[in-house]
Amino acid sequence: MTTGISLIRENAESMQPPRSLWVPFPLGRPLGKPNDKAFQHRVIAAALALLERTTGPVLEDYPEDAQTVSIEESAACPVSFGNTQADATTWAARLVSELTQMQPWYDLGKRRRNGRSLVGVAGEPMQTMLKKLGELLDSETLPTAELKWFKLAIEDAKVFYIEALTAQPGEYSAQAIEQILWHETHLGAGLRIFYERFTASPKLAIMARMVASREAIGGSTGEEIEINDITKKKK
Amino acid sequence: MVRLTDLPEYERDHLLEKNMPPLGPMTWSNNAKPLSAKRIALVTTAGLHFRGDNAFDFADPTFRPISIDDDANDLIMSHSSANFDRSGFVEDVNLVFPIKRFQELLADKTIGSLADVHYSFMGAGLMPKVYEKSAMQVAGLLKQDLVDAVFLTPV
Repeated sequence: MTTGISLIRENAESMQPPRSLWVPFPLGRPLGKPNDKAFQHRVIAAALALLERTTGPVLEDYPEDAQTVSIEESAACPVSFGNTQADATTWAARLVSELTQMQPWYDLGKRRRNGRSLVGVAGEPMQTMLKKLGELLDSETLPTAELKWFKLAIEDAKVFYIEALTAQPGEYSAQAIEQILWHETHLGAGLRIFYERFTASPKLAIMARMVASREAIGGSTGEEIEINDITKKKK
Repeated sequence: MVRLTDLPEYERDHLLEKNMPPLGPMTWSNNAKPLSAKRIALVTTAGLHFRGDNAFDFADPTFRPISIDDDANDLIMSHSSANFDRSGFVEDVNLVFPIKRFQELLADKTIGSLADVHYSFMGAGLMPKVYEKSAMQVAGLLKQDLVDAVFLTPV
């Protein structure tokens, strides 16, 4: 038997899993609040209680919101972008320069989190990856032969920046972090260019969605194309 | 919060496109054991794995095991969607994969036991049907581990 969390009530209503607890939390936060043990236990208890139900499907609403801070109340981002080489003529130079500013904050954040970091899916040094991403931007090409590397490199780069931007203790607005990442950093600007290039490529348009969020683009990231058969996709 | 009425139209439309019909006739099971005797497993679609594991591909119906003996703080995420918050998970693995909370429930005898192995899928870009083979495989592994109930978390 299963019980679980649903983040989009309408999706759960439609698919009708046997037992599901809809929670009014942001996507990416199924238990509501990070580092709030009591809050997380209340959510779990409500979902586990559904196991006692003897008829279904059961879709219950969780009554408690996970209050998050507004952009205005968000802890301040420690990184100042004023010194990055905005006038550097190449993307590679700008991204590597930005990295030197981010690195101490990333290191500080990692120490605050007792050594925990999500960086490392690509298994390459951040400088190598950012330089290569910059070179792709400079040469106005898409990494068609290295799409898997590209996916992992941009995931690592994005989470590296998120960890740096939230290095200091405090409660951050996820929206504020997104806004800084996408609209104040060279990385965000570069990723938005990659997004445009993927979108313009008929064969690779489906990949655009992993590059930038709908919030970053300010609208839909393209028609929803779901793959029905993984083997067909690879042909 | 994710109430569709609070979201911009493009976001609302996108999420409503994910409304899928039920996978088939509903499978319903009851388990007479009290929660304090139940063996529980966690399954998430957050794209979690350890550094040494293969990362998830852009569209990938496979799964990764997470042993109860592993340190969940070492879990990383290779999820293809750019459209959910990662900053919370950066702060606390339990926000997505609440293994420590379940260990606390075990310690205070709220649940009977925890599975030896828990599982992560990566939920993006594929229709539900594509996961069937992997899901059946995980169901078999959970049965082998004598699991009574599964706690599911999305992102």
